[in-house]
Amino acid sequence: MQVHQFHPTATFGDATSDQMLSLQRMLREMGCESEIFVERVPLHFEGRTRPIADYSRFSAPGNVLLLHYSLGYAAPVLEWARQVPDRKVLVYHNITPHHFFAGVNAVYMEAAQAGREQLGELARLVDAGWGDSPYNCRELAAHDMPHMGVLPIIFDQRRYDVRPDRRVLKEWGEGVNVLFVGRVSPNKRIEDLLLTFYYLKRHAGMDARLLLVGSWTGMEPYLAYLQALVQRLDLPDVIFAGHISAAALTATYRCASVYLSMSEHEGFGVPLLESMYFDVPIVAYRAGAVPETLGESGILIREKDYAAVAELVGLLIEDDPLRSQVVSRQRERLAHFQPEAVRPKLAQLLREIGVEV
Amino acid sequence: MSNEWLEIRDQEISVQEIMQRIRERIGERETSDPGTRDTEAESLAEDLYHEMLGQAMEGTALQRRVRLWRNDCDIVPRHYVVDWRVPVLGPLHALVRRVINAEIRRYLYRSLEKQSHFNRQVLEAVETLARENAALCEEIEALRQTHAGSE
Repeated sequence: MQVHQFHPTATFGDATSDQMLSLQRMLREMGCESEIFVERVPLHFEGRTRPIADYSRFSAPGNVLLLHYSLGYAAPVLEWARQVPDRKVLVYHNITPHHFFAGVNAVYMEAAQAGREQLGELARLVDAGWGDSPYNCRELAAHDMPHMGVLPIIFDQRRYDVRPDRRVLKEWGEGVNVLFVGRVSPNKRIEDLLLTFYYLKRHAGMDARLLLVGSWTGMEPYLAYLQALVQRLDLPDVIFAGHISAAALTATYRCASVYLSMSEHEGFGVPLLESMYFDVPIVAYRAGAVPETLGESGILIREKDYAAVAELVGLLIEDDPLRSQVVSRQRERLAHFQPEAVRPKLAQLLREIGVEV
Repeated sequence: MSNEWLEIRDQEISVQEIMQRIRERIGERETSDPGTRDTEAESLAEDLYHEMLGQAMEGTALQRRVRLWRNDCDIVPRHYVVDWRVPVLGPLHALVRRVINAEIRRYLYRSLEKQSHFNRQVLEAVETLARENAALCEEIEALRQTHAGSE
């Protein structure tokens, strides 16, 4: 049996790319032939991915092609998908609503809008639609997607089995660190993190750092705004770390005291799983798929009362029994996303479209 | 802070107790520092957002597009990170790639910086033209209305 995958791009550290690699490993373990196809093969992914032009050699009506979707497809790609005779499954990772990019990036704004508009057309093209959260599936349901199902993100802990970056451990190992990991993008509402941190420092008097890890490429005007806000609020302990290596990321999680998310749109939230793995207690705003990813673990906030959120963060840092309880529940939750828990779900979803593995 | 503010699904943790403790903590701070719940920082964040990002939505469609192209002028890959995943050979591999990357950067970055500078200059010229174009459109519209009024 052949089950192949496609996504326009592949990048290390990107949730969709990591999911493709994990799925490939899982499918191969299940006895399937599985390759990853991309529009252009990035230099660092050579050997792991193939160009879309090669797909004709693999294509057959009996095969399954997983079309990963996190931003719209270009017209030629959509046409290619239309022509491919394989059974097709749309794997929906969600698209950030376009209004978040207003005033920040017109290209993203247009692409996000076009991507959502394309969903209807894709629904008519595919045999099934899988979302990595029930939240994503609800969006697919609006387009009458056939054979819908949830295929969660696979948490492959081997990805984090790297020696933590010693420089990071040395620099941030001491003291209290509030962490957020994610693209510096307006939907992540990093200004809300800054306002909470402002309260934590100024009024709760806590000596802490705010570590913001994530790329800001394409989001430069938003970054400039955040940096200006940091300056006006006089918060020298806010660190924009940018995109960092796996070793530095591992070290950063080890240094974190609390993971805080004020994001207003998440299709899944991989850093929540990473925080669970590194035993960092999570405080997150209840938005998008966040409550579904956390399940019965972590702490959700329904209103952005900065003073109250800051006090909650302070409480988690100071109260060891509370922290331990939150962390232990998170560890239980993480088991739902381990490869052995996801494998039966993948097999079930494949069975629903007539594929026995 | 409403009573529904917090959600903890873990049955072993009492939400009411946590909320009570938070209220007490805020209360203590308000007693010692009455300015604790000021909204100055929130207003500042909002005003600054409008000042720096809200304006990007003003002007003609062309002006808005041109303003956003500023982000694309710089083509130097400043955020490139040499990463590794393999435990033993990975760091060695990364070191070799870092050396190669540094060597390539020596000559390639100079050209890319030059191109970025050129892109910025072209964009500045386009911005000026877009501004002039918008002003001319307004002028033509005003003349058209004056002409229609005089008829």
